[in-house]
Amino acid sequence: MNQPKYLCRSGKSFFVFKFTSKGSKGLVEKIVEYTETDFENIYNLGFGDYDQVTDSMNDLSITDNGDSSKVLATVASTVYTFTDEYPSAAILFTGSTPARTRLYRMAITINLAEISQDFVIFGFNSEQNWEHFIVDKSYSAFLVTKRENIYTL
Amino acid sequence: MKTHEVNKSKRPAIIIDDSLEKFKGRNLFPEKLKKANEILAQAGVPDFNKLKK
Repeated sequence: MNQPKYLCRSGKSFFVFKFTSKGSKGLVEKIVEYTETDFENIYNLGFGDYDQVTDSMNDLSITDNGDSSKVLATVASTVYTFTDEYPSAAILFTGSTPARTRLYRMAITINLAEISQDFVIFGFNSEQNWEHFIVDKSYSAFLVTKRENIYTL
Repeated sequence: MKTHEVNKSKRPAIIIDDSLEKFKGRNLFPEKLKKANEILAQAGVPDFNKLKK
């Protein structure tokens, strides 16, 4: 997404990204992690706050740092980097709460034209099936992969 | 530490930080991964052939 993004740090394998949210509540460390699922080439995207003191993650905290658009744009941008490194990967993600899943759906909707230039995106619907993402329809999870993979996966 | 060149605005500017490799494979978000595996076990992956446009 061509929006302001935070500078990220990443390990050389690009499975983990870290950046610092800067806002009204101060500095908050964020972690994005891509984890292998039980299915080949399908990765789960995890995202949350990192507590350096306890060396632990929290994907339920509400940071309220006034920079949610920039944070989401940064997380989304890591998908481009990850899939550059692992082009056959498909990435599954869902919100840690229904409200966050709705937030992701809205962000996808707003940026769908741009996302669709490079990726295909699917929603996991109430019938418990995957379908091409439809604007204004509720989903409990999303899956994204490079466009060329719909012919090879 | 080296800077990963970024020329396209869709990508974040990245600094390679080898210290982050310690997180690789740690499964930092186990509940999310569990849910993902449950969804995939139930519904599989999207039928890409069927869904071709």
